[in-house]
Amino acid sequence: MSQPKEIFVKTDRCVGCLSCTIACAVEHSKSKTLFGAISETPVPKSRVYVEWVEPDGKVPLVCRHCEEAPCMYACISGAISRDENGVVITDTDKCIGCWTCVMVCPYGVIGRHLEEHKAYRCDRCPDREIPACVSACPTGALVYDTVDSFSGKVRKHASRELLRAEGG
Amino acid sequence: MAYTEKILERSIDPSVHKMLERAEKLNLETVWDRYEAMLPECGFGELGVCCRNCNMGPCRISPFDDQGPKKGVCGATADIIVARNLIRMIVGGAAAHSDHGRDLAHTLLLTAEGKGGGYEIKDEEKLKALAGEYSIETQGRTKEQIALDLARAVYGEFGKQEGFVQFTRRAPEKRVALWKSLGIDPRGVDREIVEIMHRTHIGVDNDPVNLILQGLKASIADGWGGSTIATELSDVLFGTPMPVRSQSNLGVLKQDHVNIIVHGHEPVLSEMIVAASNDPELLVLAEKVGAKGINVAGICCTGNEIIMRHGIPIVGNFLQQELAVITGAVEAMIVDVQCIMPSLGPLSECFHTKFISTSPKAKFPGATHMEFSEEKAFEIAKQIVQAAVENYSLRTPEKVLIPEDKTECMVGFSAEAIVKALGGTLDPLLNAIKSGDIKGIAGVVGCNNPKVKHDYGHVALVRELIKNNVLVTTTGCNAIACAKFGLMLPEAADQAGDGLKGVCRTLGVPPVLHMGSCVDISRILTVCAAVANALGVDISDLPVAGAAPEWMSEKAVSIGAYVVSSGIFTVLGTVPPVLGSKVVTEVLTRGANEVVGATFAVEPDPVKGAGLMIAHMDKKRKALGI
Amino acid sequence: MHPGSCFGQKGDNVTEEKSKYIIVGGSAAGMAAAHTIRRHDRQGSVTVFSEELDTPYFRPLIPFVVSGKKRAEDMVLSGCGPYTGRDIFVRTGARVESVNTAEKTVSVQGSGGLAYEKILFATGSRPYIPPEIKGTDAKGVFALRTLADARNMAKRVETSDHAVMLGGGLLNLKGAFALLERGLKVTLVVYSPEVLSQLMEPEDVFLIRKALDRAGLKIKTGCAATHIISDRTGVTGVALDHGGEMSCQMVCIGKGVRPNVEFLDGSNVRIDGGIVADRYTACNAPDMFAAGDVAVTFEPVSGDRIMTALWTNAVEMGRCAGQNMAGIKTAYSGTFGILNATQVAAEPFVSMGVVHTTDHDFEIYRHATDTTYRKVVFNPEGTRLIGAVFIGDITNAGLYRYVIREKMPVMHIKRYIIDHTLHYGRFMTGKI
Repeated sequence: MSQPKEIFVKTDRCVGCLSCTIACAVEHSKSKTLFGAISETPVPKSRVYVEWVEPDGKVPLVCRHCEEAPCMYACISGAISRDENGVVITDTDKCIGCWTCVMVCPYGVIGRHLEEHKAYRCDRCPDREIPACVSACPTGALVYDTVDSFSGKVRKHASRELLRAEGG
Repeated sequence: MAYTEKILERSIDPSVHKMLERAEKLNLETVWDRYEAMLPECGFGELGVCCRNCNMGPCRISPFDDQGPKKGVCGATADIIVARNLIRMIVGGAAAHSDHGRDLAHTLLLTAEGKGGGYEIKDEEKLKALAGEYSIETQGRTKEQIALDLARAVYGEFGKQEGFVQFTRRAPEKRVALWKSLGIDPRGVDREIVEIMHRTHIGVDNDPVNLILQGLKASIADGWGGSTIATELSDVLFGTPMPVRSQSNLGVLKQDHVNIIVHGHEPVLSEMIVAASNDPELLVLAEKVGAKGINVAGICCTGNEIIMRHGIPIVGNFLQQELAVITGAVEAMIVDVQCIMPSLGPLSECFHTKFISTSPKAKFPGATHMEFSEEKAFEIAKQIVQAAVENYSLRTPEKVLIPEDKTECMVGFSAEAIVKALGGTLDPLLNAIKSGDIKGIAGVVGCNNPKVKHDYGHVALVRELIKNNVLVTTTGCNAIACAKFGLMLPEAADQAGDGLKGVCRTLGVPPVLHMGSCVDISRILTVCAAVANALGVDISDLPVAGAAPEWMSEKAVSIGAYVVSSGIFTVLGTVPPVLGSKVVTEVLTRGANEVVGATFAVEPDPVKGAGLMIAHMDKKRKALGI
Repeated sequence: MHPGSCFGQKGDNVTEEKSKYIIVGGSAAGMAAAHTIRRHDRQGSVTVFSEELDTPYFRPLIPFVVSGKKRAEDMVLSGCGPYTGRDIFVRTGARVESVNTAEKTVSVQGSGGLAYEKILFATGSRPYIPPEIKGTDAKGVFALRTLADARNMAKRVETSDHAVMLGGGLLNLKGAFALLERGLKVTLVVYSPEVLSQLMEPEDVFLIRKALDRAGLKIKTGCAATHIISDRTGVTGVALDHGGEMSCQMVCIGKGVRPNVEFLDGSNVRIDGGIVADRYTACNAPDMFAAGDVAVTFEPVSGDRIMTALWTNAVEMGRCAGQNMAGIKTAYSGTFGILNATQVAAEPFVSMGVVHTTDHDFEIYRHATDTTYRKVVFNPEGTRLIGAVFIGDITNAGLYRYVIREKMPVMHIKRYIIDHTLHYGRFMTGKI
């Protein structure tokens, strides 16, 4: 059984252009186009966030779809479950908007939908091959890959750096 | 008073701390809150590699080698995009300054024709001197006749297609020859600006160096053109500044007076407001509504104009404009053009303050528009002041909180005033420079920017300079900062190095000389030109340097460009959007030296920035053999 | 898949059989433990005894049965979220009457006994009915705890016009809203100066109070009921301590809970109010564990003993117990006394940790706007966050819980905590 792909974040690549947030909101709108999305009600919401750390840190944050998701255990209405692709999903029919999930999420990536009074979070874009945010990122700060493949690439890069350092 | 870390980090000015705390209590948004909400700012913009010049875009060049687009859809590289964006910033600023100059020329024309609504020609001597530069006959003619010809001639500089801009010829011959050889001697003010808009259109100029050169050309048409025109004609109409005492900071607002703030740039408006505030009828009206008088104070450059000429106090600089309203003590904030935040309208609605716009070019949300025209100037000014006085009865005393902070200052150092203080010639200054009592002259100017701790950049840099015997000339928001922190008192000489201290004590002047508003940087150019000519060298040989520690506006970009084009090394305290292009960055920080004899440096730490300027002056002194 | 545990249905004449794991109590802690055991032990038999007739359900949802917004079927636990384990035997309507810890057997009411290797006590708590209120046995008096209660309440609504809720806690508020939605007039009688006194201080509550008033809830604070008046139709009114009387047809009592420990009378299990559990959820003898409302556990910040009545805490404790029972020694990270998140009248709020500050020397920061309120509480030295209340804007609440629970030194992030601008990026960049 193949590994599911995760969305990895390379913070040194993020320039804070917020293209990911726009693409995410558009993907989760009714019209699925930017020009349509901006006039919809309710306002389409991004599930990815870009935060700032002085002096120049730009950090994209998105639901990690934890294997032992604290939100899933904490949910008092059984609305949160993890599907076979490893995606943690909030069932909006069951969600009663109690925000316990927000209270236990250690990343702060569960949002509060103001109009529907329910929780929402990244759904890994089930209708797309590659999540919208990853496609939209112009600098490669968001990477869609399996854990093994991604760590493999990091190790390769680290090995090269190590050899270079040793070599002089 | 224990302020939060957040408030203390935003400014070094205690009046700002008090008002920010109040803003928090009253849930009022300020420029600092909006800046924080904007973070992180888009890196493409920060690097200057975002282009929206055509609808095949918008395009952005990725700064990372292995990912993302490397060229715009038309094929423009980062170098081309950055260069185009930079010179569009230059003309944004050049246009602002030049329009200001144009309005002064128009006012002089009306006044000469007898149609000015209350303006008069105050400095006839200067009028004649300027006429001389334009080869206009002055013998046996009335000032109105001379003014008419001068106004027409100056007005003509704007729409000129060929020839040159007269005031550029004040620069040393070597400098003018250099400009000519580079093809950057401007033909006319508006023409150079229009050509940049043309060149930066898709598919026109795609050579970064060619683009930058045209940028310099347009900036020279600003500095030695539009700005000089603004300064000189303002002196003719309103008087050339001479030393005068005044005060600055929020504490100049008065608990028991009608407080009127003028904000913006053109003395065409502020002079009339000041005059109207002295009108006997209006003073009687003020008494009737229970006020002890009418207190006019300025913000930003229009504030600098009226403090230089009349000693009218200044409330604060760019980042303090909202805080002035938050005191709850302002009956009217009257604005014309430039550096006025559109947030003032909604903010004023939280108080009784009337936010009054006056220029058809500058309308704002939530403003009451009382359109000003030069033909009816004094009349309209009186109406505006009256509206302010009547508003006094709506002031809620419990809602008023005026910080006590205010500082004395000595201002009014036009070039003429400096020469007068020196005893009529530049010799004492030249001797002091030669002897090393004065290491060199610095022009420290420019805005505020929430990216820099408010006023820290300005004050720290200036203090470091005077400590090292550098005489500091200043304009704009930097000048206001220096005034607030006591650097414009003769006693401030105590903070200077021994050489400078001695000179200041002898002349009875402060170590930091307020030379006026941002267009008055032309005064600094005039002084540099005069010194260069006296020494028989080019401006680029002088031990002089410029700095803008907290700049933000496009006007500052134009100023930086013309100051460097004139041969003066300039240090910038906030990073301009050029780092996305190695070529442009190279040209501005190194290559320009071969071309115009000066460069830019970017240094966010003000003390280090002063260090760069001092090292530069030492180098120039050595080359001059002094 | 499960050798050695065939046993009959309730009522059959069954001899002693064995289940490797027995769990007494089929709600949050019990079911969380059961499913956790199953994840780690595919083979061992797991049997859950629940005295309720309904199959395990999400107890916090029962107000929706009162309001008619959801049905019992919508609340079933099995198959949702993490409750997807197989081969967990749940016996409903089966009350465990006693436990013989020496022989390691349980005795089930009306049925035979069952032997175990490991046992978890997760019997939860029952509503506390203050004995000083007279007449609580009348028809129409409820304490909302089980689905059965909810069904009965929903029925009583049909013949009611006005309901009085005794107690201003979260459960009563939710019940009150459910009744409002059914069209009843509802009055809350609260002894404390304000509602939600267990979750926050009176000066914190104003935004919620405004929302409640707007929603049409009548609230009487600073008074208590003395007795309930009734006739053969059931409740007809409530008498209050300051001498008033209110006519009503329904009374709902929300005055706290008491742990269900009676079934352990005569055993050697250590009880101190509730069943005492150590940091690994174990009781005072091997192979016995306790979790959920019935357990006495510890509070992570102070280390004090604490009992909780919150679903989220019960699930966490149950999971921890399940792991320990399956042989994976896991320390329990401790229970916040206060860990509530909910939405009342469209006003979301989160309250966690230590939020009662009078008579203490804590460092406190409050910030109120028209639509939001927050209070963050630091220890007296100002070096650790110990509690927080967020109303209206609950962004990133989970991060604050993390900071509290981990007892993180906060000096490098203190201003962000105070400004409510803390975000995960600050933990990622390693700037301490």
